Amino acid sequence: MDTSQMTHIQDEFDVSLETVEDARSLQDLKVRYLGKKGRVTGLMKEMKNLSNEERPAYGQKVNELRRNIEASIEEKSAEIEAAALEERLKNETIDVTLPGRKFNIGSQHPISRIIEDIEDFFIGLGYEIQEGYEVETDYYNFEALNLPKSHPARDMQDTFYISEEILLRTHTSPVQARVLEDRKGKEAVKIICPGKVYRRDSDDATHSHQFTQIEGLVVDKNIHMSDLKGTLELFAKEIFGTEREIRLRPSFFPFTEPSVEVDISCFKCKGAGCNVCKQSGWIEILGAGMVHPNVLRMAGYDPDEYSGFAFGMGPDRVAMLRYGIEDIRHLYTNDLRFINQFKQTEDGGENVESI
Amino acid sequence: MKVSKEWLSEYIDVEADVYELSERITRGGIEVDDIIDYTSDIKNLVIGHVEEVRQHPDADKLNLCRVNTGDEVKQIVCGADNVAADTYVIVCQVGGRLPGGIKIKKAKLRGEVSEGMICSLDEIGIPTDYVPKEYQDGIFIFSEDQEAGAPALPAVYLDDAVMEFDLTPNRKDALSIIGAAYETKALYGGDVVHPSTDLTETGDQVDVSVRNEDSEAVPYYALRVVKDVEIKPAPTWMQIRLIKAGIRPINNVVDISNYVMLEYGQPLHMFDYDQLGSKEIVTRFAEEGEKMTTLDGKERTLKGSDIVITNGKEPVALAGVMGGDFSEVTEETTNVIIESAVFNPVSIRKTSGRLDLRSEASSRFEKGVSHEFVLPALERAAYLLETYAGGKVQLGYNSDGALDTSDSIIKTSRDFINNRLGMHLETSEIEETLSKLGLETVVSGDDLEIHVPSRRDDLQIPEDITEEVARIYGYDALPSSLPKFETITPGRLTDEQEKHRIIRHQLESLGLSQSINYALTSKEKATQFTERKEALRLMMPMSEDRAVLRNSLVPHLVDNVVYNTSRQQKDVQLFETGRIFISKGQDVQPEEVEKLAGILTGRMNNTDWLGSHVPADFYAAKGILDSVFEKLGLTDDIHYVPSEGYPEMHPGRTADITLGGEYIGFVGELHPKYERDHDLDQTIVFEVDLDALLAVKSGTIEYEVLPKYPSVIRDIALVADRNVTAGTLVDIIENAAKKHLIDVYVFDVYEGENIEADKKSVAIRLTYLNKEETLTDEAVEEIHQPVLEALKDEGFALRG
Repeated sequence: MDTSQMTHIQDEFDVSLETVEDARSLQDLKVRYLGKKGRVTGLMKEMKNLSNEERPAYGQKVNELRRNIEASIEEKSAEIEAAALEERLKNETIDVTLPGRKFNIGSQHPISRIIEDIEDFFIGLGYEIQEGYEVETDYYNFEALNLPKSHPARDMQDTFYISEEILLRTHTSPVQARVLEDRKGKEAVKIICPGKVYRRDSDDATHSHQFTQIEGLVVDKNIHMSDLKGTLELFAKEIFGTEREIRLRPSFFPFTEPSVEVDISCFKCKGAGCNVCKQSGWIEILGAGMVHPNVLRMAGYDPDEYSGFAFGMGPDRVAMLRYGIEDIRHLYTNDLRFINQFKQTEDGGENVESI
Repeated sequence: MKVSKEWLSEYIDVEADVYELSERITRGGIEVDDIIDYTSDIKNLVIGHVEEVRQHPDADKLNLCRVNTGDEVKQIVCGADNVAADTYVIVCQVGGRLPGGIKIKKAKLRGEVSEGMICSLDEIGIPTDYVPKEYQDGIFIFSEDQEAGAPALPAVYLDDAVMEFDLTPNRKDALSIIGAAYETKALYGGDVVHPSTDLTETGDQVDVSVRNEDSEAVPYYALRVVKDVEIKPAPTWMQIRLIKAGIRPINNVVDISNYVMLEYGQPLHMFDYDQLGSKEIVTRFAEEGEKMTTLDGKERTLKGSDIVITNGKEPVALAGVMGGDFSEVTEETTNVIIESAVFNPVSIRKTSGRLDLRSEASSRFEKGVSHEFVLPALERAAYLLETYAGGKVQLGYNSDGALDTSDSIIKTSRDFINNRLGMHLETSEIEETLSKLGLETVVSGDDLEIHVPSRRDDLQIPEDITEEVARIYGYDALPSSLPKFETITPGRLTDEQEKHRIIRHQLESLGLSQSINYALTSKEKATQFTERKEALRLMMPMSEDRAVLRNSLVPHLVDNVVYNTSRQQKDVQLFETGRIFISKGQDVQPEEVEKLAGILTGRMNNTDWLGSHVPADFYAAKGILDSVFEKLGLTDDIHYVPSEGYPEMHPGRTADITLGGEYIGFVGELHPKYERDHDLDQTIVFEVDLDALLAVKSGTIEYEVLPKYPSVIRDIALVADRNVTAGTLVDIIENAAKKHLIDVYVFDVYEGENIEADKKSVAIRLTYLNKEETLTDEAVEEIHQPVLEALKDEGFALRG
């Protein structure tokens, strides 16, 4: 049996395969050897010239050749594919340092941030949020809060009047008066009242005719002034940092008795004295006190049975202190260069472990 | 109230320095706002005796003075006209300092040596406005002999610091130096010494009678007469004390009146006895429309609530507020009537407020004066007139009405005080604390009976006593606790509050920043972007720009965009949630509606190098709103209806938004003319009724089992007139499909080649799904064909 032709075909194929560089010429090569008119297929046609005894062995040899060539083509094909992919990847390489497609995020207003923080703290203590009217009656803004018409304390806040009896609320306290009245002197009250308030002030770096307030009110059967102190102490630590302390100073508000101003130890200098706390180590941040018996009585609560505390603060001022904002008017100008500084999340900083 | 430490020390011993004292007073409840230390910038100030004054040889306006400064006699050049030989003056020596950072050096002035400086009062730190007129144009000259070389500051009573009290309205008791002394006693202990009233009466019985016609107007009125007074400057110590308290000295009579007011908190008034026009004082409420001329020469028209002091015929003073023109003390006055009275606080407040005549006196009267000091102040003033004006105090005083100088009594108990405070004080601790305030406590068991003098008539109820105990005992001793509530309540936001927050945060995530604008606006802006022509007006606006309450949030958002774009911020996307105020008339509360508004201009999500961005156009705003509606689960109930109704809006690019058929707001492009007027590029605004959106209750999500069968899609292209809205086509389709149509989506709108000029092609994708079984082609056609028929019936041809 002459197998020299097969060897010759194999050798020639091997040489040809070496020159193949792309998928198309590999396909041509495949057709040339394995196609219907291919050289390996042609060998089979030789079978008829062989004896019956020789045929099986010959056929086996031809098939072996076919498998060898097939395997080589397969291998080559994989090589070419890999090279092509390599080439493609090389061409597809991008500059990952170019800017990504922009998906803008807007910014929450700093006042809104502060209000949410404060609300969330008190919600955690079981308070509910109550909002009221921005245009109020003289009664709820003043009289129900122990500020009769002739009361000298009305000087403390210049009021925008719309008519003799209608005004822009000067504080969020009328919400308290209304809630107390709604509960008809029976249920306990635990509320936080955020909202816009208005005073007849000329706008400058530290005054704004419109600003925000957030007030809290607790009325129940057994509320002491020590509860006010404890609540505000917890608040100061939560909102301004765990190391904060508070200090109460006697003060006056017509709707509370006793009344206090609440200072917190300065979060910037930790009490050493700096420009934020005007060298005193303390920052005045809240007004507070025990609800005046007249306020309870007017709303239908028996002051012998019920007592309560109230407190109030200005988110504008808190924001200004927390972020070092130098001019309150920035809060109402809506300059994007200002607002967009308040995009990112905040946490307690390095010193506070997250839960 | 400005309290001089030197003056205070006359009534109570204080060992603490002014800074410690201020801190203690502040912690006790009276905030010391400021400390004016007259010594702080001053060095090397001595008394000099001017021995000789001669003209400077080379300068007309300068004098050469030989001044004895104790150890030696120096030559000092002085430019003041009033410098004179044999006078005592204030000299700042070489090496000394004066306020304003002035350092005194040895100098040569026009060739003459000057070793120091002879000072005027304003040069040593007294504000020019307070310098008495006799020293206004020159140096200060002592009225009495002094010791040359002695420190000058103590001699002019300026070796002192002044505490500025920021008093809360309830602490009128501290509107006097004596009151400050009592507060000091409460904090430090010690005894309060009252000033001398040791007068000598001579001459005749007081011959001016007093009658109060209305005890509601004037509960008490007393007067004395002092004759033969000599009008001249008050003694230096009195002048300087007045200056330190913020009052400019005038002459001895006026100064004594002010001085006694500062001592006791009891304002006085001095009339010229000879100009009164009668021998009687009659007080009453003014007649409505009654006229009088006050000492500033203005004719005042009075109201029935004003109180007047009359001579029985006509007003001679507007009680507690201002004197009248002809009865006033002048340089020619020799005989004086001193008034010390109690006036109705509310009347004084109304009068001084209405006439804008707030003064030291009126501010004390309107808070109510202490009855116990009314007569001592009268005595004191008479005594001072006798001592410093050479006056002869006439016998006795006349008065009408009654003073209530007895202690009032407040009943409370140890338990009440402890319960309110959350403390455990012993009765003895409470008693001792109150005694520091001069309040006497009568104890019987746990019950306490507190005796309150009239100077502390602000104390009226047990809670007031609780506060006094707490503030003097000290709040540092107050324990901390948390409330023990009767019932535990879960703290949570209401549904509306929760959704409001979610909407805000979603808009922020979509690239809009939160604005907060003023609710007060101009009349013009209050009529924009709204049908309402009326807005609530302030009675006394501070400016035209802030005169009425807003009817829409949009005008101020436009202002925000103008502000930003003129500061190189070209891409501005803002939203605001806030109230608008629907007027129901000036005399009732308006309807307050919470609105959500937004404004977009420039580009959104802009990536320049890729050439990609979302233009801030109508569809961007609509897409943002739709995302809000989707979040709230309202998509199916929302419709956009073309609207031409807003003069500020582009009539072809504005839609009204309805929720369940009810109007809730609008979205659209600003009118090109409005944009031009405001120097804006294409700008889109929207405003919707947030309350209406939040009022819809969505309940919990209803989960649907995932479909087991595939959906079938049919794309169609329709030719329609250009003015037919896509919404119209969608409506026809939705109405015609009997079932299984789950989505209709407009995916292309084409105008141009191959389409008639006034037509457009709209491509719509219809998705059919049968949740029960596979939709066969035949089944789809059964539903789809009627849809096509319906479109055809309405005149919309199928394309291609």
